Amino acid sequence: MNIFFLPESKLRNLIETLMGRGRLFWTRQKEKSITIEEVDEEYIGDYKIPDLRSYDTFKNFILPLRSKVAEYPDEKWEDIEETPEKTVLFGLKACDVIGIGLLDKVFLDDPDYIDPFYKKRRESLILISSDCSSVKESCFCDLLGNTPYVSSGFDINISPVSEGYLLEAGTDIGNEILKELSLSKADKKLIKERDNSREKVAKNLKKQNTKYEKPFAKDLSDIVKEGYESSEGWALGSTCVSCGACTNICPVCYCFTLFDRVDTEGKKSKRFMVWDSCQYKGFSQMSGGMNPRFPMMERFKNRYYHKFFRFHDRYSEYKCTGCGRCIDNCLGGIDMREVLANIKILETISG
Amino acid sequence: MDNIYYPRDAVLTDIKEETPTIKTFCFKLDEPLFFKAGQFMQLTIPGLGEAPFTPSSHPGKLTEMEITILRTGRVTDALHYEVKVGDHLGLRGPFGKGYPLDKFKGKDVLIVGGGVGLAPLRSLIYAIFDRIDDFKKISICYGAKTPEDQCFTDEFKEWEKKPHTSLHLTLDRPHPDWEGTVGLVPCLLEKDIIGVDIKNSYVVSCGPQIMLKFVTYKLLEVGFKPEQIYLSMNRRMSCGLGKCARCNIGPYYLCKDGPDMCYADIMDYPNVFE
Repeated sequence: MNIFFLPESKLRNLIETLMGRGRLFWTRQKEKSITIEEVDEEYIGDYKIPDLRSYDTFKNFILPLRSKVAEYPDEKWEDIEETPEKTVLFGLKACDVIGIGLLDKVFLDDPDYIDPFYKKRRESLILISSDCSSVKESCFCDLLGNTPYVSSGFDINISPVSEGYLLEAGTDIGNEILKELSLSKADKKLIKERDNSREKVAKNLKKQNTKYEKPFAKDLSDIVKEGYESSEGWALGSTCVSCGACTNICPVCYCFTLFDRVDTEGKKSKRFMVWDSCQYKGFSQMSGGMNPRFPMMERFKNRYYHKFFRFHDRYSEYKCTGCGRCIDNCLGGIDMREVLANIKILETISG
Repeated sequence: MDNIYYPRDAVLTDIKEETPTIKTFCFKLDEPLFFKAGQFMQLTIPGLGEAPFTPSSHPGKLTEMEITILRTGRVTDALHYEVKVGDHLGLRGPFGKGYPLDKFKGKDVLIVGGGVGLAPLRSLIYAIFDRIDDFKKISICYGAKTPEDQCFTDEFKEWEKKPHTSLHLTLDRPHPDWEGTVGLVPCLLEKDIIGVDIKNSYVVSCGPQIMLKFVTYKLLEVGFKPEQIYLSMNRRMSCGLGKCARCNIGPYYLCKDGPDMCYADIMDYPNVFE
């Protein structure tokens, strides 16, 4: 794989070239928060790639909060033919890229049902990722076997080095864009520098999460499955208020519901795919009053059960990137690491 | 574009009243639709939404479909009170696996239904009657609250006439002239009533969750093994594609892996009968 050097002064060129490829959204440090917003042309000169992941996720670009999936204009259902606009997402971190890969497994890689809307949106995206250059308290990608940098899943990856950036293409489109920029190849020294800083961040992350290493080395799917009835660990969920912040902010929580409504003239019926959350009481409420996950704790457990057991059972991967956004946003102050680390598998008495 | 959220057009051709709270809705389809008994459909009322139902009609009828529905919620209320013959509704599906009929070959089949739960079983009963020599005894057990709450009563005589088939009924609150069994469905499952060879049989059951629970316990008590019991599990569903993630039991998505589950597969997971 070819790695190119982009001098600090030419970051503007990269951004402008990318803007020619579609509507560009970048992550930007704003006061204490890293936001995702549309590029501000006047700010390009001062722009710095944030060290960390954004506060929000990029999920909304691929799996919008609400999207129309069918229409019933007049006694007949009609297909929706909409082509999403080309969009460049700039500043994704490893956890964001991995998250998109996990969503792809659900909506694209299922041989039985490919979601046509997801597919179109996904194909309209150009993903520009960048290495993490520091660590947030809630970060735990390392505990799930990931690193604060990625080697695939992006169109272009950016690694900060002294006086500039190293750019690496991950796809044909990425290569094409890099060619347009006519950059020189990075020398070995810079690549060594990149590897060193990557290692440094990874080390800091490892240090921060040392106390969770042992429990996370176990099979997490086994822990949530066999430890389902355990009272430890789960008890930390007692402060949950079922607000759904954790699932909404999660880059890989994709539960949704199909929702129909009539337009204001009372004629056209439309079907929407809307985000839902397994943390809401109504999520599995049936007509007739039955609800298998009525108690809060059942819903709380379900989120872990789905992420680490059910999803793993089907896709052989955990449905978690370790981005820690659910930890940052929990009103009850619940730390996923603490919950998983404290679940005890009850010893079964044999014979 | 192959839109998986888009329903096909289904014209309502007839509405039959089965009981005061249950009606059978008959649909005509433009194109043939293949489904296996036990697979379910998402029925749309335009503008109101979808709800999952298993057809009650013969799976071999490809351009007609009957769905028998109890009035119990938002969509079903509208079906009972608002839609008219000639209306265009929508259907998505079929979803799920359907009953594993081939597995039942050469065995006795015990069919246990309660209330509107007989609807999907009726489709299965038709499918079984089509190849009745593949099976040994067919024993149909059905319970309802009152005589007025029984579905498909006009077909019972015909069912009983089929070779090696028997029908056993129970009512919770019968009329004074009722001579049959009185009580909930599990009371039909005494060894001497059902008349099947327990060791060489399969059971299929559909009904309210609470009934499934006690039917299962009763079946285990009289000697059935969990591997022999197939239950039509109830969960809320939306997508039907194993994605929206609300219909799970353990690792299974009922919309994709079920909705008829072998009890042996699900018994060890949490909240099976909750």
